[in-house]
Amino acid sequence: MNVDYGLYVIAAALLAVGVWLLLPPHSHRARVFGAVLGLAGLGMLAAQLPALNVWVDRNVFRVLAAVTIVSAVATITCRSPVYCAIWFALTLLASGALLFIQGAQFLGVATVAVYAGAILVTFLFVLMLAQPEGHAYYDRVTWEGNLAALAGAVLVGVLTMTMASVFTGVDAEALASELSTTSTTALALAEEDSAADAAVATDGETVLAQADDDAAAENPPPELDPRLQELRQGVLHGDHVARLGGQLFSRYLLAVEIAGTLLLVALVGAVAIVIHGRGSLRQQPAADPFAPGRPQP
Amino acid sequence: MMNEVAWLHGYQFVAAMLFSIGLIGFLCRRNMIVMFLCAEMMLQGVSVSLVSWGRFHNDWDGQILTIFILAVAACEAGISLALVLMVFERCGKLDIAFWQHTREANQPEYVDEGLPEPEFEKPSWPKLTPAGIEPEIEEEEISYRSHV
Repeated sequence: MNVDYGLYVIAAALLAVGVWLLLPPHSHRARVFGAVLGLAGLGMLAAQLPALNVWVDRNVFRVLAAVTIVSAVATITCRSPVYCAIWFALTLLASGALLFIQGAQFLGVATVAVYAGAILVTFLFVLMLAQPEGHAYYDRVTWEGNLAALAGAVLVGVLTMTMASVFTGVDAEALASELSTTSTTALALAEEDSAADAAVATDGETVLAQADDDAAAENPPPELDPRLQELRQGVLHGDHVARLGGQLFSRYLLAVEIAGTLLLVALVGAVAIVIHGRGSLRQQPAADPFAPGRPQP
Repeated sequence: MMNEVAWLHGYQFVAAMLFSIGLIGFLCRRNMIVMFLCAEMMLQGVSVSLVSWGRFHNDWDGQILTIFILAVAACEAGISLALVLMVFERCGKLDIAFWQHTREANQPEYVDEGLPEPEFEKPSWPKLTPAGIEPEIEEEEISYRSHV
């Protein structure tokens, strides 16, 4: 299957110009024009994506992806950092929902609770503490917005073209057989209560083999989709959180301990930074060593 | 099977967009807090990508790595916000360009040119419709309610 690379280049260029016009130093009219250009580029790229089978899946994914990307752009283009943080909260909510419909229920909730709930609120606290009066001049200018937008567009263009060339040339049957072997070995490695589950897995194998034979003649109904059955044994298992926790506290126990230590170190470090910084401020209040007119070394 | 590839492709697209938008913001915004928001956005793009690969390969490693990314992001946010607060106490602004004297000795200085005028927006107050009826004040009340 051929991939039309010119279209990707045009779409990435539209995105770059759109984002550049949306970035701060431009007027309101330029921003509206940039939003139109960016949406056009986004639509061109999104039209190249393959459609999902189920109508609900397809449209829910489209809506959530659009909300994620549009609010992400709004995050980097808003003048006021408070609005940036609020748009970023919307990005996090939408991407948490994306994780949720992918079957990662725990992560969807954790993203909303930890990112949007804790980290972002901390950002807002610091903004309230540290925001000077009114809109600061440095929120109305950017460093080389055109070059930054160009870099981002090149990255998007290269990534989408690579994805298109990889995913359109994919051989579905070869991929299915390869994935089923890898996932069953992973399954066999991971299961502790192997006896019962292994029996189910082999049942799934036989159903899969039969379904492969039938697949040429007719499409299997969604209940008998072998891939879905396989996923139900794996990441889409009914006891999602139990399985995830089982993995986390067996194979990855050491990593969990290290992450806990890291959190503790970060906590102590943050407190130490604040205490030390306050102390050095108090010792030398008059001479500000970081004044802008300081002679360059 | 192609449906799984379609899922993966769509999620990789969203992840690529999130990462690139975060990159653009990190490169060009000058407010330190917005820069950190953009770094978090890049991390979120990586998380979306990892979870979709984990589903594609039907194993848990993608989700578990994402949990650790969450933990590291929390650490990073805590440390960075403490640093930003201290920096703000020293110079009174969140401008990253204020710290450019810490650059290498052979790098040219970045000079702001053409700072835009601050945008003055007319405050638009809501217009309230008159509600209720003004009570009638008796003559003798005015004598002791002078400010009414």
